[in-house]
Amino acid sequence: MSTPMLKVAVLVAPAIHPVSGRPCTHPADSAALALGLKLAGSSERLTVLYAGAAADEALAGYLAQGASCVTVLPTAEDADIAPLLAAQIADAELVLCGTRAGGGQGSALLPYQLAEELEAPLLPDALSVAIKGGSVEIEQFLPKGQRRSLAAALPVVVTVHERATPALPYSHARKEAGKVRRLMPVAAKAAEWRYEPGGRRARPLVAASRASGHERMLGAIAADDGKTTGLVVKQGDPVEKAQVLLDYLRDHQLVDF
Amino acid sequence: MTFTLAYALTGLFWLGAALLSLGLVRRAALWRQGRAAPVALGRLITIPKRYFVDLHHVVARDPFIAKAHVAVAGGAVAVLALAALNYGLMLYLPALDALMLLAALLMLAGAMLVRARRKAPPARLSKGAWNRLPKSLLLFSIGGALAALLALSGDAFGTAAQGLALLALAGLALGGAELALGIGLGGPMKHAVAGLLHLAFHPRQDRFSGDKRSTDLKPLDLAAKDYGVEKPSDFAWNRLLSFDACVQCGKCEAACPAYAAGQPLNPKKLIQDMVTGMAAGSGPAYAGNPHPGQAGKVRQGDPHQPIVGGLLDPETLWSCTTCRACVEECPMLIEHVDTVVSLRRHVTLTRGEVPGKGREALANLRDTDTVGGYPLAARYHWAIDLNVPVLLPGEHTDWLLMAGEGAFDMRYQRALRALVKVLKAAGLKVAVLGEVEPDCGDLARRLGDEATFQQLAGKMMDTLGRYRFNRIVTPDPHLFHCLKNEYPVLGGRYDVEHHSQVLADLLERGAVPLKADAAPLPATTYHDPCYLGRYNGETDAPRRVFKGIGIKVVEMERSGRKGRCCGWGGGASFTDIPGERRIPDMRMDDIRATGAEQVAVACPNCTAMLEGVVGPRPEVVELAELVAARLAV
Repeated sequence: MSTPMLKVAVLVAPAIHPVSGRPCTHPADSAALALGLKLAGSSERLTVLYAGAAADEALAGYLAQGASCVTVLPTAEDADIAPLLAAQIADAELVLCGTRAGGGQGSALLPYQLAEELEAPLLPDALSVAIKGGSVEIEQFLPKGQRRSLAAALPVVVTVHERATPALPYSHARKEAGKVRRLMPVAAKAAEWRYEPGGRRARPLVAASRASGHERMLGAIAADDGKTTGLVVKQGDPVEKAQVLLDYLRDHQLVDF
Repeated sequence: MTFTLAYALTGLFWLGAALLSLGLVRRAALWRQGRAAPVALGRLITIPKRYFVDLHHVVARDPFIAKAHVAVAGGAVAVLALAALNYGLMLYLPALDALMLLAALLMLAGAMLVRARRKAPPARLSKGAWNRLPKSLLLFSIGGALAALLALSGDAFGTAAQGLALLALAGLALGGAELALGIGLGGPMKHAVAGLLHLAFHPRQDRFSGDKRSTDLKPLDLAAKDYGVEKPSDFAWNRLLSFDACVQCGKCEAACPAYAAGQPLNPKKLIQDMVTGMAAGSGPAYAGNPHPGQAGKVRQGDPHQPIVGGLLDPETLWSCTTCRACVEECPMLIEHVDTVVSLRRHVTLTRGEVPGKGREALANLRDTDTVGGYPLAARYHWAIDLNVPVLLPGEHTDWLLMAGEGAFDMRYQRALRALVKVLKAAGLKVAVLGEVEPDCGDLARRLGDEATFQQLAGKMMDTLGRYRFNRIVTPDPHLFHCLKNEYPVLGGRYDVEHHSQVLADLLERGAVPLKADAAPLPATTYHDPCYLGRYNGETDAPRRVFKGIGIKVVEMERSGRKGRCCGWGGGASFTDIPGERRIPDMRMDDIRATGAEQVAVACPNCTAMLEGVVGPRPEVVELAELVAARLAV
């Protein structure tokens, strides 16, 4: 349930297509945009913002996915964009962005820097976002199917997981109708990155057994000679045979009834 | 007495003519809701030729109904023309009465034939008002014959004359009402008027110009924000007119692979849905088969309301394989595929709501220039050991081989390798484009994404412009069709041949060194790709290839221009609308019915679809593989 007058800012950045290397949309940013469209309700209360050096065409995908206007804050490629973005979206109650951008300065640290600049809490890796009165509740993505509920009072920065919600389908008409609005370029200090060579960490895999795949397979499956761990059931009616199977599955906790 | 009848006939004629004119004005107002179309009124003079040649050519495939229609329509037109002359102009000449009697008897004979067909009608025919039609025709012809007879007989009938005259007038009035009111009220006989006008103002005028088949989709003016058809009033007025020409004979329904597979598309109903939308209403008069799985659904149409979602389920739209079997069969020359693609264009361009994997395929085309999202550099990996030169700017080659999307399919790579071997054995100078070859945009266009198609076509034409070659050869009929028929209007003109055409020529010239084959060849049948057979009329070249390598083809019942789609066309394998059966399974049943042990194909997509049929089945082999197997190496 969305509060009617919520002001939402969505941060997007072009990604690099893994096959062709062309600029394209990033699924997490697309999901953030789709959530933003839903929560803001109208395009006046939604700001879609990009800071960086990409060309307008690289952002066209977000227009096609429903952003009626993408505001671009032109900066140098290595600029520290967190304070610039924070100044632009200071009045937004909810800031959404992808968990990580597909390139440029929207690295994994940006949402945290932004939250710090805005003095707002950060809710990371949201799968769903719900506005309840003056606070935001999210379902957080955790590995292996785990989920966690988090809540914070508005204003808040939320990073959105790429599986949160499907992006609006690509529409040529929306792309043509949408606009990219460029703000005046702002001089920004370069981000303080320290570059150092990455050490190669070779982690050889150690096989649990030196036997060949074929041998291990023979060891695992049943045979009539009884030497292997498996069991061949030839006696009894189908119900008894099925019972053996069921017992096996229960023993190995593969069924729970 | 005779003169009273004559005056009555004059009155009746002019009353009918007035009603018909009023009806035509009323119906034309519906057509004029559509967009403007560049067709000149002068086209009206082409009607007789188009009727007797183009239309009758299709009707004559069913000799029974062709004869019946010639008799009925010919008789009726003659009766009306003679009535116009003799009674309309008040000449009252007995000689013309005699001719009218003959014409009415001819029409009577035809009407009897039509009635006989309606006794046990095939399932594809619409019932309802169409079942009334033979009776109206009989009434009119009997009335006409009786009136002519009375006029000729003078006083021979004596006192019975008055009663007979009344009967004749009643027959003519009741039967004639079907025609006079049909166009205005949208009855079955509207097809006569709308059908003739449709022939003159056909949306594809190039269909009638000589031997060229008009099968190319027309480009949208995207810069002018033309995003296809949303509402019935978005169709050009002559498209709306074409929908009114439909006689609901259901030939399209019988030929449609999606309908046969139980997918929710009946091309006949689709056209009637468009009529419902144009005329506003819920189409209660429709008495034919519904879209499969949608029996009894009442849908409201309005000329200014969106079609998809209201009149039509999106699934209906996405079931079409664009195979053109319906267009090929339609005796009224209606263009179903154009209609489907116009509607798809609006859905895709404005909302992007392409079902199934279609959306992913379109994204891949935008981002990687390939349907499957492959790196372009991988397109010619299969040729790495075949020593096929990659054409460089500045170099020249006789033949440019374009593999298309099939190059990424491991099964089809075997066919491509076979093709290269044959072309090399025949001594042709062949080269490929390597990693600069993008997709031709066929899939994007059929799925309605005209923007991506035009972008890919532009990229392809730019690329081809940078290289020097004499001719293009491709084994992909979709690529072939795009290059040959759809690029010229965008400014790309190429000499392009399908590999079956090249192979046929080489074999006939004796340029391919063949070994004498002692082994008996398995019984073989051939599956015609829609985009080669129906779209390009090329059913001969593959058969010439079989002849050249000594294979006798066992033909399927539906082959050549009547061939049945494999189910891939139009992106149907991507949108994947569920039905009761799968189209390739049905096609494999056709193949099994011939008793053949192998089926030859000449298209990467047909190969993939037929190879995808599970269970024991005839072997799927590509044309080039059959030739390569006979190469004397």
